[in-house]
Amino acid sequence: MAAPLPFSESERRLLQVLLKRKVRFMVVGLSAATLQGAPVVTQDVDLWFENLGDPKISRALQEVGAAYVPPSNFNPPMLAGAGAELFDIVLRMDGLGTFAGEIKNCVEISLGRQKLKVLSLERILASKIAANRAKDKLTIPVLRDALAATQTVKRRAKRK
Amino acid sequence: MKQRAQITKLAKARDWARRLTMRVERVLAAHPHADPDNVRHTLILLEQPPLERLQRSLIRGRATAIFRK
Repeated sequence: MAAPLPFSESERRLLQVLLKRKVRFMVVGLSAATLQGAPVVTQDVDLWFENLGDPKISRALQEVGAAYVPPSNFNPPMLAGAGAELFDIVLRMDGLGTFAGEIKNCVEISLGRQKLKVLSLERILASKIAANRAKDKLTIPVLRDALAATQTVKRRAKRK
Repeated sequence: MKQRAQITKLAKARDWARRLTMRVERVLAAHPHADPDNVRHTLILLEQPPLERLQRSLIRGRATAIFRK
């Protein structure tokens, strides 16, 4: 089966193995925002895992020939190897609650037969406002306007 | 024949643009401080499947990064 956009075959496989092994994770950051229609650009896909020590993660990574690289002096924790380069690991989300609390604020995006958990646009905006880095300040107005547009569209669809 | 097909395409494009403008106006009526360009681009992206939206974002993000180097 051809890899669905925008993932390569190995990237799709990595996500599907994580989902198949029931690893608890969600897509966060601007990639999550763009999946929901926000007109922003990004270079990677941020993944927030509930527990990086979960042995299911290393088994899933092994299955696809990738590995978890723990943080060192200058490098954050990362995934390396086949199909893993696109993905970044997020350790904490400013301004948000626990993973267990935030997973309730996820939307689901189909990835083949499986569903990918994606943090809601509203909560991404909340995290960007809390982080308030220079790069966040540039995206906050865009995310706010995208949220306004998506909420109006949803409200109208509900009325119909 | 070819000309008729072109006219139909043009009419469809105009119709789409008119509907888009109306939808932008509707959002701006509810959110007067929103930027019309951001709203318009969001509405256009909402017509695409989610993975296609991410694809576009990644292509542009990487192109920007290459341009900066």
